[in-house]
Amino acid sequence: MLNIYKINDSKFKSIYLSCNFIMPVNRNQNSENALLGSVLGKACKQYPTQAEIEKYLYGLYGTDFNVNIEKLGDLYNIEFKVQFVHKDFLPDKQDVSDKVIEFLYQVIYDPYLVNGVFDSTIVEREKKVILNKIMERKDDKLRYSVQRMEQLLCPNEAFGMDLYGEEEIINAITPERLYQRYLEVIQGSCVTFLLSGNLEKYEDLEDKLKKKFEPKLENHLKLDEMIYDDVKREMKNKIEEEKEIQDTVQSVLSIGAVIENYQVQDYYALNVYNTILGGTPSSKLFQNVREKESLAYTVRSRYYRFKPILIIFSGIMQENYEKAKDLILEQMQDMKKGNISHIEFSSAKESLVADLLEWNDSKIALAKMQLSNVLAFQSEEVTLDQMIEQIKKVTLEDVIRVANKVQVEKVFLLGGNENV
Amino acid sequence: MYDYQIQKSEELGETTYITTLKNGLTVYVCKKEGYKKKMGLFGTKYGSIINDFVDISTGKRIQVPDGIAHFLEHKLFEKEGENALDMFSKMGVSSNAYTTFDHTVYFFETIEKFEESIDMLVKLIKEPYFTKENVEKEQGIIGQEISMYDDDPGFVVYFNALRAMYKKHPIRIDIAGTIETISHIDKDLLYTCYHTFYSPQNMFFIVVGDVDVDETVKRIEQNICKYEENYGKNETISKIEKFLEIEDREIAQKEISKAMDIYMPQICLGYKLDVVTKQEILRREAICSMISDMYFSKLTKFYEEEYEKGMITEPVSFDYEGSQYFSHVILSSVTKKVNELKDDLLKYIHKIKNEPIDSTLFELIKKKKLGSIVMSAENLNISYRRIIEAILENVDIYDDIAILKSITEKDIREFLNLLDDHYMAISIVTNKQ
Repeated sequence: MLNIYKINDSKFKSIYLSCNFIMPVNRNQNSENALLGSVLGKACKQYPTQAEIEKYLYGLYGTDFNVNIEKLGDLYNIEFKVQFVHKDFLPDKQDVSDKVIEFLYQVIYDPYLVNGVFDSTIVEREKKVILNKIMERKDDKLRYSVQRMEQLLCPNEAFGMDLYGEEEIINAITPERLYQRYLEVIQGSCVTFLLSGNLEKYEDLEDKLKKKFEPKLENHLKLDEMIYDDVKREMKNKIEEEKEIQDTVQSVLSIGAVIENYQVQDYYALNVYNTILGGTPSSKLFQNVREKESLAYTVRSRYYRFKPILIIFSGIMQENYEKAKDLILEQMQDMKKGNISHIEFSSAKESLVADLLEWNDSKIALAKMQLSNVLAFQSEEVTLDQMIEQIKKVTLEDVIRVANKVQVEKVFLLGGNENV
Repeated sequence: MYDYQIQKSEELGETTYITTLKNGLTVYVCKKEGYKKKMGLFGTKYGSIINDFVDISTGKRIQVPDGIAHFLEHKLFEKEGENALDMFSKMGVSSNAYTTFDHTVYFFETIEKFEESIDMLVKLIKEPYFTKENVEKEQGIIGQEISMYDDDPGFVVYFNALRAMYKKHPIRIDIAGTIETISHIDKDLLYTCYHTFYSPQNMFFIVVGDVDVDETVKRIEQNICKYEENYGKNETISKIEKFLEIEDREIAQKEISKAMDIYMPQICLGYKLDVVTKQEILRREAICSMISDMYFSKLTKFYEEEYEKGMITEPVSFDYEGSQYFSHVILSSVTKKVNELKDDLLKYIHKIKNEPIDSTLFELIKKKKLGSIVMSAENLNISYRRIIEAILENVDIYDDIAILKSITEKDIREFLNLLDDHYMAISIVTNKQ
């Protein structure tokens, strides 16, 4: 059966179609998936080079194609996505949809093989690409810090593994092993399609997808069978500090917290909590760390949709480390005590509602929402309107209750080697 | 109710209504049917490169510290003790502001609070509030913003390329200034810049979204009236006098290099060009976006070979950057082997200048561009950016689309010949090790 989420809105002029292979992974599979995603997007039997793939897509009026890898909590997703223009907006009302579907099928199910396995030249080349991506992370100091904190908070979980894998494992993958992994992925994942955009005059698109893909989709994992229970966390009840030296002008302070005894129904209150703490310019962090004390330009907190963790990050001068850290921890303590003004509370809710409403203008956000709701809420019934209602229903007491579940575990400083 | 000049694009399904209010402020309403989000932008034709001008209050020519236009952006988005971002955020509206070389823009994005957001945006821009204390406080915040850019290799390699290309032109200076230059900014200087450049004739108001055009313009006008005693009374308009010399093509230095604590080195090649104006700017942009696809994208032999060699993992970008004040092409890339890529790029540019244009490829690129134009209609940000460019360069709003369609092989050929090594500078960021 074809598992598909569909959104139709005639204000759009194009269509987004993606095929998602979602699966749990161990350490080896995590690295193998990264390499697999990289190899599959670069060649298929019919179009064996990147140049040929691109030329074909240019001829389909610039149809956009990508293989994207991502983590949905502890699950790994290899997403094959295309975006193409609606026939009404092309010369002579040309319809490229049949060709696009066929192309998507080819890159997934008819890869470029040499002696029954992936081409070793391509595999070796893509290994280097992946390894560079891992190393390159340090060049963006803020993002690097947040990612290090994710790893520190979730050391034994798939979520905490680098999306691109580990150097040693990647180096050891043979073309044979990678092909084996390919078969495991296409046969053993939950395959989910997203179709969204202007679907007027494309009533038969879903049937065409079914006809093309269904023969390949037997006995697959179902999304709701894969929903994981988050690992039982042992609360540490103390804060551990770590430091990494880099020769930079600015230092990055990040603070990582876990949510004790997380329940699905805490999701909305935690979102409001996060917004009050550091989600907007009205937040406690922005107001106190930036506006009052001039300690930072960037200071934000981020709550994770698929993991009960929260990370705060801020670009500061190293000499202000203790001051900034104490100030941030103080804001969190304040929220536990319920020191939240009416305006902080109501504006946070309004901001969240506005953010959700804005998803209506993005065909990709709308489609992805359906997929992520299945994973986050274990229900495919939740609509955007219901999410908005739930945000509106959050009370101040709910926020204080979840504030007391937020436990800081790690403080990480990425900093220059001067001054300290 | 208002007289509108109407500009329209069939391809994008988009219409923009333009009207000039009695105080000289021009309002642009770009109608996007079906979209929930509404954007409002209030901007001025004043940015980092305008630092030598006649103070409108005293009539004296002055030079202001580097980074003051950006500093003013920060301070204007603040009222008595309250940050504007915060004031919008309390209404559930997101807002921001940015400063470029030649303009500064303040904007909001909202779904349900459109009218209130217009009121707030006008109030913020029309009521400056600078004090000694709040200027000092901002020096700390902007100091951290500058430090953040100092650690960003992409930012460093780009601005160094500009410094290598330009000898004296203020495009050389960082938009935010330096910690040293911003220490010279005080509230009086901010008021001087504000009064000189934030006059209605030098400003523009843009709205994008599914809104009622008349109601929107009326709301803007009503708000403006609150802050201008002489609104509509035909006061004499003082002309802005600014001094900005256009440079010849000679570059400042051939190569500039900086080592940073990073993994992946970066490179920029900058080709300095003669300055052109109006539609010629759009033509060069269109030509360069075609060149980028024809010679550097993933379908090219060049990309394939460099990728196979492990030199690059993403196409080298090839962009035109130009206004009435400057003009250049920037190629940029991240690479492990920066010197080899530099040599390969220089050789390659010589090669493409001397080889015939592949007509099949040219037609294929045109086909792709048609699709890209349609897809761009789904992005409201592209709508407002196009309007800003039309305002700054004094062209019609949708000229770019017609111009892109009109580009010929000959245009490509002629433009490639403008890329002259003699007027080219190289910027490199290496990794410290």
